[in-house]
Amino acid sequence: MTAVEGSSRTSELARQDESALLDLLQELEKRHGFVPRQVSEEISRLVEVKLERLRRIQGKLDSTIRRDVQQHVAQWRNEEGNLIMILHAIQNQHGYVPREVAMELSRELGVKLARIYEVITFYHYFKLQPPGAHTVTVCNGTACYLKGSGELLNELRTQLGISEGQTTADRQFHLDVVRCIGCCGMAPAIVVDGRTCGHVKPSDIAGHVAAVKAKTGGAK
Amino acid sequence: MSALTREALEAIARQPAAGPAEWIRVQLDTGGIAAGAEAVHQALLHARDMHHHACAVLRAGSVGYSFADPVIEVQAAGMPAVHYGRVTPEMAERVVREHCIQHRLLDNHVIATRQRALALSGPVTHLLIRDTGPESGSKTDFFQFSFGEELKRCGLGERIQVVRALDMGIYDEGLVVQLLPGGVTYANVLAPDVARIVAESVQGGRVVDDLLWKKADRQVRIVLRHCGNVDPDSLDDYLKRAEGYQGLRRALEQTPDQVIAELKVSALRGRGGAGFPTWMKWQLTRAQPATQRYVICNGDEGDPGAFMDRSVLESDPHAVLEGMIIAGYAMGASKGYFYIRAEYPRAVERMERAIQAARERGLLGADILGSGFSFDAKIRLGAGAFVCGEETALIASIEGRRGSPTPRPPYPSVRGLWGMPTAINNVETLACVPAILLKGGAWFAGFGTTTSKGTKVFAVTGKVRNAQLVEVPMGTTLREIIYDVCGGVFENREIKAVQTGGPSGGVIPVKHLDTPVSYETLQQLGSIMGSGGMLVMDKTDSMVEVAKFYLKFCVDESCGKCAPCRIGGYQLLQILDRISRGRGSASDLAQIQRICLAMQRASLCGLGQTAPNPVLSTLRYFGEEYQAFIEGGPSYARKVSRAATAASGAAPAAPPRAAPDPRGPVAATGTNPAAVGGTVS
Ligand SMILES: Cc1cc2nc3c(=O)[nH]c(=O)nc-3n(C[C@H](O)[C@H](O)[C@H](O)COP(=O)(O)O)c2cc1C
Ligand code: SF4
Ligand code: FES
Repeated sequence: MTAVEGSSRTSELARQDESALLDLLQELEKRHGFVPRQVSEEISRLVEVKLERLRRIQGKLDSTIRRDVQQHVAQWRNEEGNLIMILHAIQNQHGYVPREVAMELSRELGVKLARIYEVITFYHYFKLQPPGAHTVTVCNGTACYLKGSGELLNELRTQLGISEGQTTADRQFHLDVVRCIGCCGMAPAIVVDGRTCGHVKPSDIAGHVAAVKAKTGGAK
Repeated sequence: MSALTREALEAIARQPAAGPAEWIRVQLDTGGIAAGAEAVHQALLHARDMHHHACAVLRAGSVGYSFADPVIEVQAAGMPAVHYGRVTPEMAERVVREHCIQHRLLDNHVIATRQRALALSGPVTHLLIRDTGPESGSKTDFFQFSFGEELKRCGLGERIQVVRALDMGIYDEGLVVQLLPGGVTYANVLAPDVARIVAESVQGGRVVDDLLWKKADRQVRIVLRHCGNVDPDSLDDYLKRAEGYQGLRRALEQTPDQVIAELKVSALRGRGGAGFPTWMKWQLTRAQPATQRYVICNGDEGDPGAFMDRSVLESDPHAVLEGMIIAGYAMGASKGYFYIRAEYPRAVERMERAIQAARERGLLGADILGSGFSFDAKIRLGAGAFVCGEETALIASIEGRRGSPTPRPPYPSVRGLWGMPTAINNVETLACVPAILLKGGAWFAGFGTTTSKGTKVFAVTGKVRNAQLVEVPMGTTLREIIYDVCGGVFENREIKAVQTGGPSGGVIPVKHLDTPVSYETLQQLGSIMGSGGMLVMDKTDSMVEVAKFYLKFCVDESCGKCAPCRIGGYQLLQILDRISRGRGSASDLAQIQRICLAMQRASLCGLGQTAPNPVLSTLRYFGEEYQAFIEGGPSYARKVSRAATAASGAAPAAPPRAAPDPRGPVAATGTNPAAVGGTVS
């Protein structure tokens, strides 16, 4: 299960529970004109149980985050100036630097959270938002620029309805711009989910987007 | 594995081991892999096993033929090694069956060797032919046929194969024929010459002097000496086939002062931009009293569109590592850092493996080769900030901080990493060092001009026919690089200017193309050598737009620490934007000059000081384009932007004179007369 699938499944679970409960309450209210005491007591008991469960989940989350962070830190413990390398490790794992992880890292290293964010925000490579399920990257190095990467970017902006650095509302596409991906011989180049495509024309963009969408549809 | 000793290295030097006799090397660098080299590698392994053939299928870095990725090199028994370009997985079976087994070359994919001979070395077995004239290779088929017929007439049709090549390395010289083995090459071959070549050279073993191509190859490979020939992931390959770590052995046999003296003789200057003498940098660092010194290899390669350093790191990481260890020995440093962009994961991976392997064999660590000298190297990743290429910012970044530059002095050679004396060297600079120690400073200084010695690697891209890595001696002219090595301009349009030095450099107009490349000459023209990006622009490119592109880059990348760069850059960009929309006024040009001057004078670091260069140099040579925008107003601006869209829309087509691309869609546009015609008109 991918992270995105996972998160959509959890929110689905939470939603189901609640809506069933609300439905039940509405029905009871309709029938009795009020919510009977036994029912309200039962519900508050259920809520307690649920809260307890959520606390456990939170605790588990905290401890996995703590363990993860401890692992990353242990690897770089004795290295001077390790912060950036640890951030790289975190981003490699999560695809971005989640806030909770940054907070845990601050505790673990004994470094102020502000200083960690100072570093994260300085470097373009570090991201604070989770990436989309699919990433389309346009190379805007000089070779690609001269051969029309600007039009590719425009085309992608219209097709996806987002600009560079953004993710579509459904978290499906992330559009990025990079400088030279090292295949200037095939300029202009784009990277779709890690696959590099060279000699791309604006008219090809629709096809690439459709291919990714088809892939997503097939997987479900 | 056991540590290497000096004696063991000496033994290897005396008797380099022979590799397998038959092999196929697949060039797996980032560019090659993006073009599908991994699939080609798999398919070749499969095809070899299917045919039960004994040839080794090996991995290598890139020789630099980016235009033809993916590239493989095939060595079959009794044949010269042959490069194939634009290889597809589907071709793999034919490579094994036809080339390795039947010794027949494949049409349309061979990249002819640049090592052309002037005399025949043995009986001819293959003729490579290609029409390099302006009619898009139309005569190639005809000549293939007539050579074939002529050979048949002489009873040689069976024994000698006539092959259509992908690229001959010679351009606009009519039909070019190369005889294999050996590589005797004839240019401007006409129909009546066919019989002569067959009679004289093929049958008589004599060279046809009036057709002979005598110009030597412009390229000299020192930095790229092993790129594409060794497996970047194999220390053994480097040791046994590439004189690996022999330069280090030589260095350790001398005193550090002698090593620095050798560097001084070589007159090697930094390849990262400024061209500071490397020996002096080492000397200064060495002279500084300290308990600890550091060497840093600057692999941050920020120039967008340049890929020299990536290619070297990916194709020959051990050479850079060896250079760093020698640098450490010379200046008395015991620790080194590779600062490599995180966007270059393959370079990082391969360097990591190189360090690991070197450590296992005692080439890193305590008491290297029994010399008493200890050194260790580590990797630090960049994180997407161009300014971190600047020395003080780079140091801050390795220390785990924001990469903001600090005023110099103190220079890093006095107070660098963790306050200790530090020398920062570019990847290419370090890659030169082992060669200098091995062959001598005087040998290195034999290349180049009086002030700029040795060779320089350029990544030539843009509207050039064959985008590729080029390594030429300093003093080679821009025209030679672009026309003789890279085949001139795309679709035979007219060249307008060449940009060197990336965002810190400037444009050089076509009238200065005959300038020999050196640190000084480029600077006189208002550009810089930079790290080696070379962007070719044709008549359809608007210089105002190009200036804006580079300036936008610098504005995005400014760290914002000092006002001239932060505010000046932004204002400059506003003015350029206004002009390019046709809404500029005459006073804008004077304003540009004023802001540029302020930025150059008052910025804290190199980024701000050099950011105006692209603007100033375009203004200097193409002032009339700015004027045209100002006078022509919005309607003119719209016209220009439409023309540019039309031109670049057709541009992604394959160069028309390259052989048909087997990948289909590209070939279709490449030969589509409408697409080509559309851009000419
Ligand atoms: C803004 C800026 C970016 C730079 N980027 C690079 C770079 O990407 N690679 C590099 O080798 N040098 C870069 N330099 C130059 C380095 O600061 C430094 O001069 C060089 O690495 C020294 O090595 P060398 O003496 O071997 O040339 C940059 C300088 C500035 C001011
Ligand atoms: S010149 Fe620009 S990049 Fe350099 S320190 Fe000043 S603001 Fe930062
Ligand atoms: S500029 Fe796009 S791949 Fe190099």
